[in-house]
Parts: sequence; C-alpha cells; structure tokens
Amino acid sequence: MLQKKQCVAMLLAGGQGSRLGVLTRRTAKPAIPFGGKYRIIDFPVSNCTNSGIDVVGVLTQYRPLELNAYLGSGAPWDLDVNNGGVFVLPPYSTGKDGQWYLGTANSIYQNMEFIEQYDPDYVLVLSGDHIYKMDYSNMLNYHIENEADVTIAVREVPWEEASRFGIMNTDKQGVITEFEEKPEKPKSNKASMGVYVFTWPKLREYLISDERDPNSSKDFGKNIIPTMLNSGEKMVAYTFDGYWKDVGTIESLWESNMDLLKDPPPIDLHDDTWRIYARNVGLPPHYVGRTAVVENSLVAEGCSIFGEVKGSVISGGVLVEEGAELIDCVVMPDAVIKKGARVERAIIAEGAVITEDAVVGEATGNIAVVGKNIVLEKGQKVLAGEQVGQ
Amino acid sequence: MKTDIVGLIYTGDQNERLRELARIRSVAALPMLGRYRLIDFLLSNMVNSGMHNVGVILQRNYQSLLDQIGSGREWNLHGKRAGLTLLPPFAGSDHGSNYEGLLDALKSNLSFLRRSTERYIAVCDANMLYSIDFIDLLKQHLDKNADLTMVYTKQRDVRRNGSGRYFGLDNDGWITRLEFDPVIPRYENTYIGAFIVRREMLIDMVDRATSQGMHHFTRELLVRILQDKTYKLAGYELPGRVWYIDSVEAYYNANMDALNVRVRQDLFKPNRPVWTKLLDGMPTRYASNAKAINSLIADGCIIEGTVENSIVFRGAKIGPGAVVRGSIVMQDVVIGRDAEIENCIFDKGSLVRDGGRLIAPREYPIVVGKNLTI
Repeated sequence: MLQKKQCVAMLLAGGQGSRLGVLTRRTAKPAIPFGGKYRIIDFPVSNCTNSGIDVVGVLTQYRPLELNAYLGSGAPWDLDVNNGGVFVLPPYSTGKDGQWYLGTANSIYQNMEFIEQYDPDYVLVLSGDHIYKMDYSNMLNYHIENEADVTIAVREVPWEEASRFGIMNTDKQGVITEFEEKPEKPKSNKASMGVYVFTWPKLREYLISDERDPNSSKDFGKNIIPTMLNSGEKMVAYTFDGYWKDVGTIESLWESNMDLLKDPPPIDLHDDTWRIYARNVGLPPHYVGRTAVVENSLVAEGCSIFGEVKGSVISGGVLVEEGAELIDCVVMPDAVIKKGARVERAIIAEGAVITEDAVVGEATGNIAVVGKNIVLEKGQKVLAGEQVGQ
Repeated sequence: MKTDIVGLIYTGDQNERLRELARIRSVAALPMLGRYRLIDFLLSNMVNSGMHNVGVILQRNYQSLLDQIGSGREWNLHGKRAGLTLLPPFAGSDHGSNYEGLLDALKSNLSFLRRSTERYIAVCDANMLYSIDFIDLLKQHLDKNADLTMVYTKQRDVRRNGSGRYFGLDNDGWITRLEFDPVIPRYENTYIGAFIVRREMLIDMVDRATSQGMHHFTRELLVRILQDKTYKLAGYELPGRVWYIDSVEAYYNANMDALNVRVRQDLFKPNRPVWTKLLDGMPTRYASNAKAINSLIADGCIIEGTVENSIVFRGAKIGPGAVVRGSIVMQDVVIGRDAEIENCIFDKGSLVRDGGRLIAPREYPIVVGKNLTI
C-alpha cells in the first residue's frame, strides 16, 4: 500500500493539438519546445513540484514516445521520489475491455485505479498546453476553506475577448452559478483556465455516472462541469491574476515566446523562488562570434551565433551563420540558419535547416512555420502564414 | 557499456600562484569556461569512457567541491552498483588532514581501492584541463603489456622552467628516466599527472612503498621502480590539447583559449557531453542595445551592455552602458551601469558599482575576489 497523499495531479496531455499544424504532426503538444530551453509540459510539472505536489499522472495518447523519454524518472523536476513521482499513463487493456481515451473525463475515469493507490482527498486536473507560474497549493487551500466540491481557476480577460472563452458567472461570494462555453453576450469576464481542483470522492461519483451515459462526450468542460453544476454541487471560482497563456495555436505559441522579450517580461523566468525546471542537455555556453549582432533576444546554451538575431528566442544548439538574419522568430533546438537566409516572424522547429538565401515569413501577416527536420531548398520562399512540414 | 576501470581523482595540490582564486576553493573546483568547474571535465571524461565507479580524494577547502559534485547525479554517478565516492581526509590518521603527496592519499584510501572490483584503475590529478578517452588509454596499456602507463604531452606551453615532471622515453615508448622541477626541462615529454595500472598491482605498490617510509608516488616510488626495474612503465601521448592551470595567467589563458572554435570542438565532442551541476537558469537575455562579440556566454545572464572577447558565467548581469573586454565574469557577478572592465577576473558574486572602472594589462589580469565590491 502506498502512502496516502492529500492531492494528486492529473495532467491532460493526450490531445493531438492539431491547431499547431506541422509542429504537432510528429510531436505531442506538451513536448513542443518553448522559451529557448523548456518544453510546454515543464510549466505545469514545475508548478506541481513548486507547489509541493509530488504525484503527477500524465495522460498521454497521441505520439507519446518523445514525452515519455523527456519525463523519464522525473529527476529534473525533483519528482524521482520514494512515494510518488511522475507517471506517464497511456490507455491500457484490462482484459476483455480497454480502449482509447474517449475524452478528458474518460481518461481520468480509466485511471481511477492509479489515483486510488494514493487514497487522495483532492485531485488537481491540469492541461498540457498552458504557459504560467501558479502556486496550486493556494488554490487547494481556497478549495478547502470554501468546502467546495469543485474549484475552477479563472482569470479576468478583457471583455471584448470574453466570448472566446469558457466563462464562469459567479455570485458575490465567488460561487459559480452558471457556466457558458464561448457565450455571444458574456455576463462575466471570468474565463476558465482549465485548472480544476476536485474533491476526489465527488469527482469519482460523477466520472462513474458520466461513463454510463451513452450520450456524453466524456469531457470535463462539456459534461462533468455542467452536470455537477446542475446537480447543485458547490463550485467556486478561484481568481488567478498572474500571466497565463494558452499556447494551443501557432500565433499564441509565437506570442507567448515573444512575451519573454518584453521589458519587464510579464512572466519572469529568472525567478529564483519559482524555477521552471527542464531536462538538461549538457551543452556548453553559447558562442557569439565577431560578426554577430544579438539584440533584444533570448539565447540558450550550445548556440553559435555569427549572423544577426533581433527580437528572437533561440533554443539550445542552434547555428546562425554569418550573413543570416533572424527577426522576431522562435527557433527550436538544433536548427541551422545558413548564410544569406532571412527569417522574420516565423517558428523554426527542431533540427530544421534554413538553407542559403531562403526567405521565411514576412514583416506582416501570420506566422510562417518550418517543421521539424525540414531542409528547405536554396532560395526557397515560405510566405507569411505558410507551413512547411512532412 | 561498462569499462573495467575505476577512476580516482586526486584534488590535493594547492597552488599559491593561483592566488585568491584557489585560496577559497580547491584547484579542482575552479570555475571554467562559463559553466563548469575544472573537475567536471575529468568526471565527464570518465563517465563518457564507460566508467561507473569514481572516487574523489578531497583535501583542504573542499566545501565548494562537495557542493559542486554532490551525489554525482549530474554525471549519472549516483547508481546503486557503483557511483561516486567522496573520500575526505580521515581525521586521526597519521597525516591529519593533509597528505604530503599522492602516495599518502592512496595509503589513506586503500579501503576504496580494495573494495572496488574493476581490474584497472586510472588515477588523475585535477589541476589540468584536457579531454581523454580512458578506453583508448587502456587499449594501449594492454597492447604494450605495460605495468603502468603514464599520460604525457609534447605541447610546449605546459612546460615550466623550474617546475613540473618530465620523462624520457626509449624508441619503444618505455619510460627511461623521470625528471622533477628542472631549471630547464631536458625531456620534451611532460607528465600530466594521470596513469593507469592494474588495481591490485597499485595496492601492492602502495603497501610496499609506505612500509619503506615514502610519501610521494611519482618522485619516490616511480623513481625507485625505474631504478630497480621492478615494473615496466610506458608513456601514452594524449592526442588533444592540455592546459596546466597553475597560475592566474594560465587560468586566464585557458579560459580565453575556449573562444577558439577548434578548442571547443576538442573539449566538447558530440556524444561526449561535459556535465556539470545544474542551476536551472533561463536562457540568456540580451537587451535592445546589447552588444556581444567573440564571447562565450552561459545561461541565466542578462546582457544590457557590451561584451567583447570575454567569458561570462551563469547568472551574471552586465548593466546598460557597461563595457566588458577580455574578462572572465563568474557566476552571479554584477557589472554596474556604465562600468568598464578590461582583462579582469571577477570571482563569483563580486560586483562593480555603476561607473566603476578596472583595467589591467592583458599579461597580468587582475583578480577581484569572491563577493567583493569595487
């Protein structure tokens, strides 16, 4: 029997993330590189460690290999502990049944045995595509103080954007009275962040009944939350006012990277008290050559910069040759930008090669993307909003 | 794959010519190349050669070394079957906390030698920077059927008039004579303080030598062996470059040499990563008017001024308008706004106030001690 835990985190990492186009064609969304040395999943997992939560189940389904290898024993996040740790949880067979995860709620349902090993009082449900630093222990305490059955983290979004989100309408005490998915006329600007604390016995009960409902799409937002609300369970909104960004689209992934270059940045990753941990790749310091220009950029270890880099986030092991130009770009690990290439407002995925004189992206318009390990042809043009992938 | 060699690193030697850099830490813990400590290279070389059992003999000022290597996790040396063994001085032994030489240190740590199970042992001093493949060293040792093989270099800039260890070789690569601290070295082969030998043979050598009252492994024991011809000593020429870190100037030059791409290619080969203690800093942030050329810059820095021909360690901050030329800026150093420094070594946590100015000749870099403010 494993030792009891007050709270177990379950991280939903199984979706394909098809809105990220060529970036997620071969990689699960949470494994996408971010901010020069991280991957998206480093944020929720580091938040768990920093919040004192040391059981993290990662629900995977779509192309999980990279994520498995990345998480490994959990040591980079201090999760290689005796009782607990980080667990990759793909769907598995249980004899004659066993099936793929059918929805977010179903993925937790299929892992009830995993959760019950720790006999937790609460379960924290997280998403694998958000960039934020959040102390979940504050939210958990709020949940306990309010004797809630569900606590949903919300953030106040600009009113004009509210109709793009799942909106929580609350009373004066913060108790949720209504939930509206992408309302045309929002009554509140409190948008759900996709971070939930459930009192485990309650959630368990609803997961079981939802599983029996043939009409349910077995999803937290569409089924579990509305059903609990309609049944009169106590749901409270926990307002989070820090930086939070859904990086589920090309544009938002690029924007969130660019946010790191603002002065001061809206999310401080230099913060000693709330480190975001990442798996180490063992590269030497980066080298800036005699011909290089590096301005308003982030540059990670192992890079060699001989060209011009402006307003860009450059990940580990990237080579920028003399005469190459990068403006407002996100460059993922081990990409090569050859001489004479010009890249503007673009995302260059891991190991891609921007060959001599290629032009990627434009000064205006949507973000251009060059997929993982793609080698462009000499002088090839990739227009704004265009994606090149396998 | 597992290699049948146990590693032993001797961190004993002090060096006054490293001045304040080594007064607060052992030479093995000297910060190198932007994010490393000198010992990281040896430890990584051992691990990259498939060695899983490594002992580190500690002596004097070893706190920063302990902090650096910890459980050995970064080098994957925290396993159950073997891993890293820290060997601090054993109070109450004959020598107190100071060994007179390597032989004393080996004698005090015979239990480590005895309980290791590997057939061979590689013993290395930690005052040099180089890249070595211990498998290749062992291969030559076995091919030659030597009893003990000593690593050397012919590189001229590690020779020192009046100090160092040199040896003569016959045409078949056997060591004929050893020479210590010569006014002008007669032999072109500089011993770099690393050798390989069968573990049980080493235990036997140490047992006998200490019973004869010897303290120094090379100066006494190996010299006696050559005289008596009891064992066959061979030389192994290191294929790459070596830096002997024995003075502030040598320390400065070794770091600056890393600005040369060929040097980095030699020290940082693909598939032979150099591991070090992690700090989990974010990538380095360059401000809009930052300017950096010909420099090595680690993670976690904030560059708002100008950096030229310099080595910048993790977490350093170069203020707006500041100019850093030809300098080594260690971890968490802050160079204030509009400050100007040239040919300086700023030790960990030191600080230059806004507008401060410190310019040294390139041949004699100035050292600003740990946590000092100027």
